[in-house]
Amino acid sequence: MAIESSAHTLGVGIVKNGKVLANSSAMYKILDKGIIPAKVAEYHSKNVGLVIKRALKEAGISPNGIEAIGYTKGPGLGPCLRIAQVAARTIALLQSIPIFPVNHAVAHIEIAKRLSKIKNPLALYVSGGNSQIIGLVEEPFRHYHIYGETFDVGVGNMLDSFARAARLKPAWGSSVAKLAERGHYIPMPYTVKGMDFTFTGLQTNAIKMLEEFDHRDVAFSLQETAFAMLAEATERALLLTKSTGLILCGGVAQSAKLRKMLSTMASLHKAEFYVAPNEYNADNGAMIALVTELMLKNQQSTPPKRCTIDQKYRVDKVEITW
Amino acid sequence: MVKSKIIAEGAESHIYSGNLFGFNLVIKYRHEKKYLAKELDQLLRSQRTKTEARLLATARLHGINVPAVLLVRRHALYIERINGKTLNEKPNTSTVALSEILKHAGRYLAQLHSIDIAHGDYTPANIMVDMQNKVWVIDFGLSLQTASLEEKALDILLMKRSISRKAFRAFIDSYSRHCAKNSAILGRLAEIEKRGRYQVRTLLAQQPPNS
Repeated sequence: MAIESSAHTLGVGIVKNGKVLANSSAMYKILDKGIIPAKVAEYHSKNVGLVIKRALKEAGISPNGIEAIGYTKGPGLGPCLRIAQVAARTIALLQSIPIFPVNHAVAHIEIAKRLSKIKNPLALYVSGGNSQIIGLVEEPFRHYHIYGETFDVGVGNMLDSFARAARLKPAWGSSVAKLAERGHYIPMPYTVKGMDFTFTGLQTNAIKMLEEFDHRDVAFSLQETAFAMLAEATERALLLTKSTGLILCGGVAQSAKLRKMLSTMASLHKAEFYVAPNEYNADNGAMIALVTELMLKNQQSTPPKRCTIDQKYRVDKVEITW
Repeated sequence: MVKSKIIAEGAESHIYSGNLFGFNLVIKYRHEKKYLAKELDQLLRSQRTKTEARLLATARLHGINVPAVLLVRRHALYIERINGKTLNEKPNTSTVALSEILKHAGRYLAQLHSIDIAHGDYTPANIMVDMQNKVWVIDFGLSLQTASLEEKALDILLMKRSISRKAFRAFIDSYSRHCAKNSAILGRLAEIEKRGRYQVRTLLAQQPPNS
């Protein structure tokens, strides 16, 4: 079993032999100001017990049936992460079971990888706070190497900020997509450096353009430009690594537009393309549980005292033992 | 008349080898990208081709070893062909030779920066050594005409991330000697490296996991 609470979703997942038995969640309703960490944490702390119970019921097991507990160590928002950590440590101590801190990005990649059945794919991990191109390498130790990433904000947060400026309603990603449906292209700043990219310049520019241009056109061009940057950087990484597969994961992977662009790009290079179903792209407990199980089978558990949180827990810091 | 044969398919462009009036050349053709919006694709291809040609010519005028541009079309560049290997193709170079090459690379980058060109992808893959051991800078596909300290510092960072510490020292020493504004640029580099996202990546090679 594992608990995830890195942002506005509180998720509890239960996994057995790589099969998802339960994937329950409670999501904090975002109002017009976005996530206020303290308030979300309060929401999570009120709901964590409830969601755990729901997950146990869904899986049809008793608390004694849990073999190990995992939680999201990071990256994420401190106050939110804290909830899953405290809950997991409590359960570990109460039930005397091993506890594992899990990296959120590793979990996103790992679940998409399992479902895709692609061997050693390149991954584009795009969410609110993260936008990274990631692949598994063996040196200097087995880990997920970051080939390219955003120099500033994640693509999701960038779209959210834009949507707020355009006075759209949450969920912002899909509101922008909807607004963009009938837009036309206007040139916007396009910044790719090798396999890295930046979004803040684009964001500022798009927000300024709202005063002057049709909002539909701005939304269209913003999406088009931002996703093109991601696709181009990913294409470079794909050619560099000579990967035969590409997976798209993370919250922004729910965008149909981005999926289409990447699948077209991947097919140009004869690479297989995969996106997980949306319930696994949004933050969820099942993916954390999946990694927890992998860790249980392949490495030692962490003493509860050393089970900390790390808001900037980078994916390339994690040794992959499976 | 140009006869050509494809030699490489990059993300950015297809590279053909060809011959123009007996001159060996490479043709860098920026192909269409079907996944982009048509307007954006057109814009990127023609702009990048133009910029690349202009910056290559400027760099050459200032005495930096870059291949000569022979002809510019809307989406294609006809460039002098260098017979050599890029730095990451010949990993067997002895350390002495390598630091010698990187000294040149450092000086070229300093020269580029002093005429406000940021290379944009200054990695071992874009440093070439020819048969006479002459060092060349290639691929200005991502280059910018800019005075921005940030862009210049990123050039250095990209190289720093791709080579060993010892090799980087040779590179940066030579760079600093030849670049008048080096303290401002290196100051910015230090600042960039302090930003959270970079810390782990640059430290990665030196640190054991799970420490």
